[in-house]
Amino acid sequence: MDGAMFDKLKILSDGAKYDVSCASSGVDRTNVGRVGNACAAGICHSWTADGRCISLLKVLFTNRCVYDCKYCVNRRSADAPRASFEPGELAELVMGFYRRNYIEGLFLSSAVETSPDDTAERICGCLALLRGEHGFAGYIHAKVIPGVSPEILARIGFLADRLSVNIELPSRESLGLLAPQKRAKDIFGSMGQIAQALAEQGELRGPRPAGAPRLPGANVAAGDGSLGDMARGHNAISPARPRGRREAFAPGGQSTQMIIGASPESDRQIIATSETLYRTFRLKRVYFSAYIPVSDAPELPERASRPQLGREHRLYQADWLLRFYGFAADEILDEANPYLDPFLDPKAGWALRNMDRFPIEVNKAPLEELLRIPGVGNVSAMRIARQRRFAAVRYEDLKKMGVVLKRARFFLTCSGRYYGGKTLDPVYIRGQALSPADIRDGMIERAPEQLSMFGDSRSRIPIGTAQGGGHGLSLR
Amino acid sequence: MDYLYDESFEGFLCCVYRHYYGERASGIFPAGRYQHSLLNACETVPTDEGQAGRVYAALRDRLSRFDPRRIYLVFRSSAPEKEMKLLDYIRLGFKEGPKTGLLYGNPVVRDVRQAEDRVVREVHRMCGLLRFSEVRPRGAAPGHGGAILYAPMEPDHDITEFLARHFCDRFREEAFIIHDRRRGKALVSAAGRWYMTDFGDEWALAETGAETRYRELWRGYFDAVAIKERANPACQRRFMPLRYWKHITETVPYFTSSN
Repeated sequence: MDGAMFDKLKILSDGAKYDVSCASSGVDRTNVGRVGNACAAGICHSWTADGRCISLLKVLFTNRCVYDCKYCVNRRSADAPRASFEPGELAELVMGFYRRNYIEGLFLSSAVETSPDDTAERICGCLALLRGEHGFAGYIHAKVIPGVSPEILARIGFLADRLSVNIELPSRESLGLLAPQKRAKDIFGSMGQIAQALAEQGELRGPRPAGAPRLPGANVAAGDGSLGDMARGHNAISPARPRGRREAFAPGGQSTQMIIGASPESDRQIIATSETLYRTFRLKRVYFSAYIPVSDAPELPERASRPQLGREHRLYQADWLLRFYGFAADEILDEANPYLDPFLDPKAGWALRNMDRFPIEVNKAPLEELLRIPGVGNVSAMRIARQRRFAAVRYEDLKKMGVVLKRARFFLTCSGRYYGGKTLDPVYIRGQALSPADIRDGMIERAPEQLSMFGDSRSRIPIGTAQGGGHGLSLR
Repeated sequence: MDYLYDESFEGFLCCVYRHYYGERASGIFPAGRYQHSLLNACETVPTDEGQAGRVYAALRDRLSRFDPRRIYLVFRSSAPEKEMKLLDYIRLGFKEGPKTGLLYGNPVVRDVRQAEDRVVREVHRMCGLLRFSEVRPRGAAPGHGGAILYAPMEPDHDITEFLARHFCDRFREEAFIIHDRRRGKALVSAAGRWYMTDFGDEWALAETGAETRYRELWRGYFDAVAIKERANPACQRRFMPLRYWKHITETVPYFTSSN
């Protein structure tokens, strides 16, 4: 029996591992049951060999699926071992792991075995067992299958801390092509229902930059025919009604995930879609998942291709700008620049295109301006704002406050003095801000596309010697 | 004058008292680890609750309500010469008042805040990395009752008591022991109450039968969720430094095979 459980856990975690989210954050709760609590910052318990954290036990309830989404390991046509949990045994496993402090809670997803409702009903049963019989007060993240009926979704919401509906792909066309059984209407229907329920209990809060007011602006950026356009219909979310404290609907909010590199959308479209999702449904997070080839379908990148990890990384940086730095999607990328610069972070890229706004005086500029300086993060901006109330910030202090001067010095003045050099020319600054190591590391990530004719994707282009100096890269 | 104290927080506060009401301190050291030298005279400061209390109240009232906590966290760190760093901070604090902790540019403040951050970070990290095993005292009859959760660790800083609130709430109905093997002390808790005690390795604790099974399941899961196309061991080690691996259930096999 133990051997069977071992195999089952292996199969069902193997099928769930492509789900990115593992956050156990957003909920602060003391032990209201018999075992467990939740910590708002989230707690990571381990890190796997790919460097991703393990916070929740991430498993599928079953991997027997009637859908045939081309990018998915669990698609009906895939030749894979299949298994399902019984609600009781899964609950027991979660409690056993939780008591040993292996995990912070459960992330339960599932394939669609017969219909979305049937599967959701069984997930709901398992969660009810955990919360009820086992008195579990730890974190639960439940994946919502698009198209599930509103009644069951409401029940799951009162058991789980966070809900997520995967948008899967950044545009409606790609969704139609690669996941024909999943409909955009269903995805946004479920997201809208969750947002509405959160709004009614006054907990519809998206991420916001330091010092910004609670709700982001209402003007939604243009969306080039992506899925985001469809989401607009749900903009009319009713205002919060005050309620007494009782069991809460998904107090950790909702998140979503999309696959990067399986379809031809540009970074600009992806970021515009994310922004629309943040503004419309006030999601906590939009996760990106670099596509890992699991299929030979002709619509998808071939099996030998490597996941676009560098691109995923830059998209996450852009995502942070959207959520915590007060940037709008059309500032990060525009018509002329549909892709993020692989060699330079998105904020530095934006700054170089807008040199007329720099340099910024650190002792005078408001907090939201400080956040726009490349190399200044939320923490260091707050530190600057706090210290300058008592004493002027000196250039020597900036490094101690955590500012990355390698980039920041070109974009700021300190008590009127500029430390970046003789000129504010973007081409010059770009060359200075990139170190040879940046260029080399950038090349490793770009290598699969650029070096395919050599067949060895790990070789490095000695760009410094080839172009004489290493600062010879031109601006796009 | 070098002041020696008994390694307790109160003892340290008494040294601060002496610095102000006696001779200036040139160094403050735990009595057990002091190297006598010809250059500095030394004096052992007796721990006096009244003096300690007065210093504590002064810290709270003249610095800020956050500072006693900050100073205690840093006192529990293993930063080199933490006592003198704290004394410098306190001296600055009496001059600058409540804003002291916000003067990030000042090297004295930076040292103290850095040490504070390290302790706070390790407490948070240990909330995740601690691994409990279900054990019972050797010789106790097998059965369901009497099982205790036991977690060994070797943290960089002396953080055991800071873990109490989190785990006592989480495992309200369990009996558990968190053992700092490096410092030979442990947090013992049952039914939501806890105390600190000296704790050696001589305690004979036997793992229960269920323990082996859960360990195997967990290790299987740990290997299965890693995506091999994304392998990035450097990143893994950045988040989970090797020095902790010895006591983490799922990394023990890798730890022993690489040594």
